[in-house]
Amino acid sequence: MSETVEEQEINDVDLVARTQAGDPRAFDDLVRKYSPRLYGLVYNMTSNHEDTNDLLQDIFAKAYRSIKGFRGKSSFYTWLHTIATNMTINFLKKRSRTYKMSLDDVDNGIHNDPEFIEMTSAPDATREVNLKELQQRLNEAMMKLSNEHRAVVTMFDIQGMPHAEIGKILGISEGTVRSRLFYAHRQLQNYLQEFLAA
Amino acid sequence: MNPDIHKLLRLKRYEQPTQDYFERFLDEFQERQRAELLRQPTWSLLWERMTDTLGNFHVPRLAYAGVAAAAVVLSAIILVTQDGRSPAGPSLALNDPRPTINVLPPGNGDVRLPVSSRSEFPPHYVLEARPVSYESPYSF
Repeated sequence: MSETVEEQEINDVDLVARTQAGDPRAFDDLVRKYSPRLYGLVYNMTSNHEDTNDLLQDIFAKAYRSIKGFRGKSSFYTWLHTIATNMTINFLKKRSRTYKMSLDDVDNGIHNDPEFIEMTSAPDATREVNLKELQQRLNEAMMKLSNEHRAVVTMFDIQGMPHAEIGKILGISEGTVRSRLFYAHRQLQNYLQEFLAA
Repeated sequence: MNPDIHKLLRLKRYEQPTQDYFERFLDEFQERQRAELLRQPTWSLLWERMTDTLGNFHVPRLAYAGVAAAAVVLSAIILVTQDGRSPAGPSLALNDPRPTINVLPPGNGDVRLPVSSRSEFPPHYVLEARPVSYESPYSF
């Protein structure tokens, strides 16, 4: 049975307190818990698995070094996501080489997703394209967005976070989150116009 | 937004490595942490320990600056006070009565002869039992 948000937060508070008291195993539990989710966030912003792996190591290392200063004013989840987003945006600003998309590691679970089945089985022109092409087109469109816009699209559309949570993580108002999303969606639609019209 | 784009974006959540990757990731993280600890200089570890210990007493961050400033001011006061006192030191020594030796001449009471200070006589060195300076210190 999955934990409720409150249960998750209580669990995090306990793990954080134990880490602050010097128990490294408690931090291991936090790494286990949050690495898949943070992986999704970082990967969808960088579109590169190697970069994501390195960044994720640095993010958890920074979190571990800074955890003594964490006073619980926000949830650990928000705090960790803020570190991850800031570090990823800083990394992207420095990155000059072109990104590589490696889709070989795509989880097989996608084949059971009703949206995927719907999109790939119906005799519509859009739905005839294979998964690789779908992902490639979308990744290319995503990488054309600015880092800040890609961050909100990743958190809202891919990870399903509420506007308020995204606002807290990025340190912006909910209104700004909504306007960035609106602009990013319009951009994506323009980039994928040809593909969608086919 | 076009519902197809929304669906495509939702499908991107499957772009995840397998569970094995995340287990290996934790091992790699622990290894890196240990390696980093070994690379840290001793002073850094000592500083970390000290701040940790002080942190346990819930000392606010500004207190560290306060203590450092107080230490600087205290050191300055001590230095200034010592500098001011230094001219008085030798004068006290000069005012001290010179030490005396008791000599007992026959028949009389005690006579106190002053012991000369070293500065009243020229230096008189002796090398291998022969005086280097032949100038008699007691030339009458």
